[in-house]
Amino acid sequence: MKQGYKQVKRMTTAMRIMHWANAIGMIGAIATGLYIAHPYYQTFMADDAVDKYVMAWNRYGHFMVAIIFDITSVLIAYLYFFSRFEKPYKKLIPNAHNIAEFKAVLVNLLTLNRKKEFDSSHSDSFNTVYFTIFHLLLIWMLLTGLQMYVQGLESGISSIGAWWPWLLHLTTDWTIAVTGGTNMDVRMAHHTSMWLIICWVVFHVYYQVWRTIFWKEADIAIVVSGSKFVKDDTLN
Amino acid sequence: MSDKIETVKKLFTSKSSRVETNKGDTYYQDLFEKCEARLNEMRAQTPANRLDFSDLLEENGIDRREFMKWASATTAMLMLPPMFTPLVADAAVMMNRAPVVWLELQDCAGNSEALLRADGPKIDEIVLDIISLEFHETLMAPSGFQAEKQLDEAMEHFKGKYLLFVEGSIPMGMDGQYGTIGAAGETFHDHLLRCSENAAAVIAVGACATFGGVPAASPNPTGAVGVMDVVKNKPIINIPACPANPANMVGVVLHYVLTGQVPELDSLLRPKFAFGYRIHDNCERRAHFDAGEYVEEWGDKGAQNNFCLYKMGCKGPMTFNNCSIVRYNEAVNWPIGVGRGCIGCSEPDFWDKYAYERPMADAKIKAPTGGVEKTVDEFGLGMLTAAGIGIAIHAAASAVAGKRENSGESHE
Repeated sequence: MKQGYKQVKRMTTAMRIMHWANAIGMIGAIATGLYIAHPYYQTFMADDAVDKYVMAWNRYGHFMVAIIFDITSVLIAYLYFFSRFEKPYKKLIPNAHNIAEFKAVLVNLLTLNRKKEFDSSHSDSFNTVYFTIFHLLLIWMLLTGLQMYVQGLESGISSIGAWWPWLLHLTTDWTIAVTGGTNMDVRMAHHTSMWLIICWVVFHVYYQVWRTIFWKEADIAIVVSGSKFVKDDTLN
Repeated sequence: MSDKIETVKKLFTSKSSRVETNKGDTYYQDLFEKCEARLNEMRAQTPANRLDFSDLLEENGIDRREFMKWASATTAMLMLPPMFTPLVADAAVMMNRAPVVWLELQDCAGNSEALLRADGPKIDEIVLDIISLEFHETLMAPSGFQAEKQLDEAMEHFKGKYLLFVEGSIPMGMDGQYGTIGAAGETFHDHLLRCSENAAAVIAVGACATFGGVPAASPNPTGAVGVMDVVKNKPIINIPACPANPANMVGVVLHYVLTGQVPELDSLLRPKFAFGYRIHDNCERRAHFDAGEYVEEWGDKGAQNNFCLYKMGCKGPMTFNNCSIVRYNEAVNWPIGVGRGCIGCSEPDFWDKYAYERPMADAKIKAPTGGVEKTVDEFGLGMLTAAGIGIAIHAAASAVAGKRENSGESHE
């Protein structure tokens, strides 16, 4: 360990597993989702029948990823409020301390690290807000996605029972009205939100790398090892 | 505020599109007895016109066996069990006791055309022939004051009993002056309100009358709206599609004659028996969709082999209608059957949001501000580019600033 630095734990094993499940899932969801929106490669007409189920496999993959997102979303929502490690919701409350911290981190980013007037040893308010935007986008994708899905369950029955389409109608029918009143608007909203998420990911990756380079506190290691390093004031 | 609360309430309590195909024996037994009683009651009434259904069938060379086949198919379409077949046959015979007033507003008469199907009428159309059509501007011989007198008499005579069919949208712009009718220059809006006041139910047929249709397409110069936006406090049944399928018109009238009630409707007031299922889920080309076999351009090998039309912009996956089952022109064919995609004509805003004949991702849509038309992907790539440029600038600036900081440190 570098002299004068101490190791601080920032992500639990469970949090890291969820992060990578989401990250890998997102790549899968975008690859399959783009195919579903506009099939961008063709099947070979001469292929064996068993290899030709291309759209169906893409949809299968897309739905499987969606189920992984369902689960991580529920877990993350739970951890936001009840985590024994760090409760992120505490960083979302707009009190004086959080607002000041949010501003300080934003100033740090905009002044290219000239000013760094906040404690970077714990998860800061700015990043927590940014993560929350992602989770809200993900929930929005789930709701609009499930609305499109339930349109194929007209009979009101499913392999796991009638409660499933009933629940989907109850929880997602409002997305039609909110997006513009037609089934097509839900699709367009779903597709547009994908681009928002891609933009979110691009900035997220950049920002974490940027922190690592300029803060010199090994922030990028958080998502791998679970911890980073900060100057240990007790030693000075 | 209370408006908003109402809207939210409506959002969460709106009827879902779930279709209940089997409501249990007790339900159907009850319904059967009710329908039987109602038909007996109707039999006692004098027909509103002298047309006889059996004669008409004979004239068109349709025998009893063919008619009963039609009756059982129609029973199935109405999602009723087979025991209702004789009642449906009876109801068809008694359709001449159902007075209908037909209004034509801002439209192309396509639904009247579908209703007439003058070239070789089949049973659906014959059934529509014998309904007691009391008033239909386009079809009737009288015009001007004479026609208006006929309308007034029909509305007076069948007060509270007639079914009002409306074809075409209602222009609301310029105080409704975009469309007027009659010698007095009554606006379509006033005309519709006057005629719907004493109707038993209002049946909007076609995309225009239901959701505004083509006249309401962007930029909607006449301020066109559908019937349900204008007529309140009346049972309204929407039979969208362009044109509405005569089979569904017959279904609704039959249901009304049979039960005296409007059929079960979805949240867009469309009868569930007709609009409860997606085209996609009963499409004959669905297997090609799942297999990823698409028509890439008109007339290619895929088109010759009846591949899926999804990449040519088919909107079957988002469109609720029964034309993949009942088809058009007495099941002769339908859009996808002739090798062109669905344009979603039974959905609201279909002209702007469905009918662009390319996949949704490639469709030019308006920005929320109403500005430049771009595809969703172009818009997304634009956003991504903007984000990338921002990041590049920040990264470059950081690199320069970081170096300065380092050189500063070395001076310490």
